[in-house]
Amino acid sequence: MTRVRSLLAARLTPFLLAGILALVGAYGLWQAHELRSTAAAENLAVVDASLTAEVQSFVTTGLNQVLTYDFADPDATTAAADQVLAGDARKEYDTLFVDLQAKAPGQQLTLTAAVQSVAVKEATEDSAVVLVFLDQTSQRATDNQGSVSAAQLSVTVEKSGDSWAITELKPL
Amino acid sequence: MRQQIQTAGEIAADQTTAEDTAAVKTEEEHETSSLTSTEASSDTSEADPAPDHSLPSGAGTGDTGSTPSGKRSPLGPLALILAAVVAVIGSWWWWQAAHDDQLAAAQDRDSALIAATEGIETLNTLDHRDVGTDLEAWEDVTTGQMQDGIAAIDEAQRQQLAGEQKIATAEVVDAAVLSIDGDEATVVAAVEISVIDDAAPDSEPTLKRNRFSAQMKLVQGEWKIENLQQVAVSLS
Repeated sequence: MTRVRSLLAARLTPFLLAGILALVGAYGLWQAHELRSTAAAENLAVVDASLTAEVQSFVTTGLNQVLTYDFADPDATTAAADQVLAGDARKEYDTLFVDLQAKAPGQQLTLTAAVQSVAVKEATEDSAVVLVFLDQTSQRATDNQGSVSAAQLSVTVEKSGDSWAITELKPL
Repeated sequence: MRQQIQTAGEIAADQTTAEDTAAVKTEEEHETSSLTSTEASSDTSEADPAPDHSLPSGAGTGDTGSTPSGKRSPLGPLALILAAVVAVIGSWWWWQAAHDDQLAAAQDRDSALIAATEGIETLNTLDHRDVGTDLEAWEDVTTGQMQDGIAAIDEAQRQQLAGEQKIATAEVVDAAVLSIDGDEATVVAAVEISVIDDAAPDSEPTLKRNRFSAQMKLVQGEWKIENLQQVAVSLS
């Protein structure tokens, strides 16, 4: 009887060991997957330096163009909007732009935007959410009045093909 | 086989004292060692089929000829090799993920952001009814010169803060890490500060929107605020 048992054991031992090893391997794979699929790991903001810089540079240039306006040359701003804005951001911008166009020529209004900082909060290869601090100076040539306003914006950008576009612009 | 022994052990434990259980354990160890020795002998049998014929004679009628050992020898080692490969790959991937610089940086980034958010809210919170507690909280979230400065606020200044009759509370509306470099990070935040004036109980709280930039430093595994500045409008 003991003999049968030991023989059986001898036969089963490699499989038992194999089972344990396979479990160890499977556990390792599962742990690796867990580590790589956390929210922190999937967010490339800041840790992917080139992606972060690319988004920062696009948002800085894009917002400076789109939020800078000269009553004498409104086409420059609309041309920039065509390039930079899409989706909801585009629709909202168009509504605002209609108001601006109505009063700007009378007041001889110019707006100058200066992005101070763009911090990337969330990023994947083809989308990002950023926090933007920007200053906007407005000048009325008619009465020589000027004002400066500080703004904080939450901006969503998406990439299609090779080019980025601002799809959401939310003042905070 | 192991299960049989364990069952026996359980029964023994149920029936007898701890001393008996220990005895069963010894038996188990003994069985295990005999198992190993059997394994060794079966290894020999794989290498040389001759003793293999003699072995099954006592084992049973089914075990005749080289068929059992022929079936067993490729399958067992094959399973072992495959499983060992799986174990090595799994462990390697796990080790790599655990030592991935980008993953560690991502976690640093997120913990810096959480600490900055909490710290900025704390540093913009002050209740004239309990200045002492709030200042302690300020010290907790800061480090370096900023912390020293808060610690240096003396009794006269505390009295003055208490006398202002203001309750300030802050909420970070949005925040993000601007940059991170080793144990230093810069976090920017859009903050809404509400101030209640207790000297004028009927007045509405005033709401202010502020932009802050916080210089963070990693001190003993925790991010602390080293410097907090308002991001002023820059006229150019």
